[in-house]
Amino acid sequence: MPAGGITKRDMHALYSDHHGWLRGWLGVKLGNASDAADLAHDTFLRLMTSRGLPAQLGDEPRALLTHIAKGLVVDHWRRESVERAYLEALAQQPDVETPSPETRLLIIDALTRIDAMLATMGARTREIFLLAQLDGLTLKQIAERTGAPVITVRRHIKKALVACMAIE
Amino acid sequence: MSSDAALDPALLKEAADWAMTLRYDRPDACQQRAFERWRQQSNAHEAAWQRAESVFHVFEQVPEPIGKTAIAKLGTGHDRRRMLKLLSLALVAAPVGGLVWHRLPWQSWAADAYTAAGELRTLDLPDGSRLVLNTDSAVNIAFTAQARRIRLVKGEILITTHPDPAPVARPFFVDTAYGVVRALGTRFSVRQLDRQQCHVAVFERAVEIRPLSGAGRTLSAGEQANFDVSGVDAPSPVDDSAAFWERGMLLAKDMRLEEVVAELARYRHGVLRCDPAVANLRVSGAISLADIDAGLALLEKNLPVRIRRLTPYWISVGPGG
Repeated sequence: MPAGGITKRDMHALYSDHHGWLRGWLGVKLGNASDAADLAHDTFLRLMTSRGLPAQLGDEPRALLTHIAKGLVVDHWRRESVERAYLEALAQQPDVETPSPETRLLIIDALTRIDAMLATMGARTREIFLLAQLDGLTLKQIAERTGAPVITVRRHIKKALVACMAIE
Repeated sequence: MSSDAALDPALLKEAADWAMTLRYDRPDACQQRAFERWRQQSNAHEAAWQRAESVFHVFEQVPEPIGKTAIAKLGTGHDRRRMLKLLSLALVAAPVGGLVWHRLPWQSWAADAYTAAGELRTLDLPDGSRLVLNTDSAVNIAFTAQARRIRLVKGEILITTHPDPAPVARPFFVDTAYGVVRALGTRFSVRQLDRQQCHVAVFERAVEIRPLSGAGRTLSAGEQANFDVSGVDAPSPVDDSAAFWERGMLLAKDMRLEEVVAELARYRHGVLRCDPAVANLRVSGAISLADIDAGLALLEKNLPVRIRRLTPYWISVGPGG
């Protein structure tokens, strides 16, 4: 399925010319050959399936490849740090039963999405939204706790909700 | 899920309004019906509502109490932009291994030297200079035949330079995101602030600040100033106690409580906030940075404030009584 103006043959040439280089570049950034191989693969996959790309790759295909790869590296790092946050939280609650690997994966997926949602919010909005979402406080309770008027609390939560909905 | 990524933003807002009403307003039967009518107007309305539901759903997938603790540890939106910027730097050392980076945020993995929240670290550099990293800080160190360079990746450092033992003395620079600080035989600190600024304080001799695209300025001992990409603010006086963090101590002299709390927050994980109602209380005294909980107890004892612990990661300093 050729996307945009890039044909299958272009893609083949692109892959054979730049895949090794991209894998090396990722290896340096990640310090890990197997992650680098995975992300190099994902970069080409993203390029093939992406709709918003320019019809032609221009003279600097490597610039576009690194642009895509950087986004994937950052996602990879975020996921790692989410995973670490989760494992630390787990370690702090020794009385909680250790979930199965499958369950852990689902939870880490969910946390990664939550992380992406929260990342778009300002500090105040995020704080208020989490008080509502995690602590289940009412608008009034949040107002008392944060010192903000109820109407402001409501505005922050709605803003956070819209931001979350835009992420999906 | 991504196929309907281009939902109408106006519809998303309407759906969010309904979610707020259903959740917080105890809707009566009439409102319930109005909601159902809204939702059934079109597939796009239904899809927008599904988005709202999926936001609540994703939070439900994370079990208590683990989820709350884990979410409190997640970073903020700044991270992504900074990570992309870091990836563009030529001199990024790749991490080698796993265990060492436990508890450390991403910026630190790629740096030459770093500290976690609540940690201090002193490094003796090859030229005899001394570098102290404050809490949650990271630097890259590049000593070449031409120059001694420290790149401040994040946080705060204190440097005491030593005359260069190299045959031809090399200049000593601290590179920041907003400009270069050149040491002129000295003891000084550089701190990356949140708002696209750096802070420099000079305790001995002098330093020269060269913003990336603005006029430079030389600061002498006893002076401090903020600078950004385009210039250096007017200097104000500073004394040695500003670097007492090096000894694990915050020396407050008639400081606003809000500032004290913000300082203490740098030394621990999680959220530590100050209620605006008590932000302007004045604090004087020495607070240990090695035990923030003890420091908070001290504030509670000496000021009309109460420490509220929502969770170990959510602490707020509010009015007492």
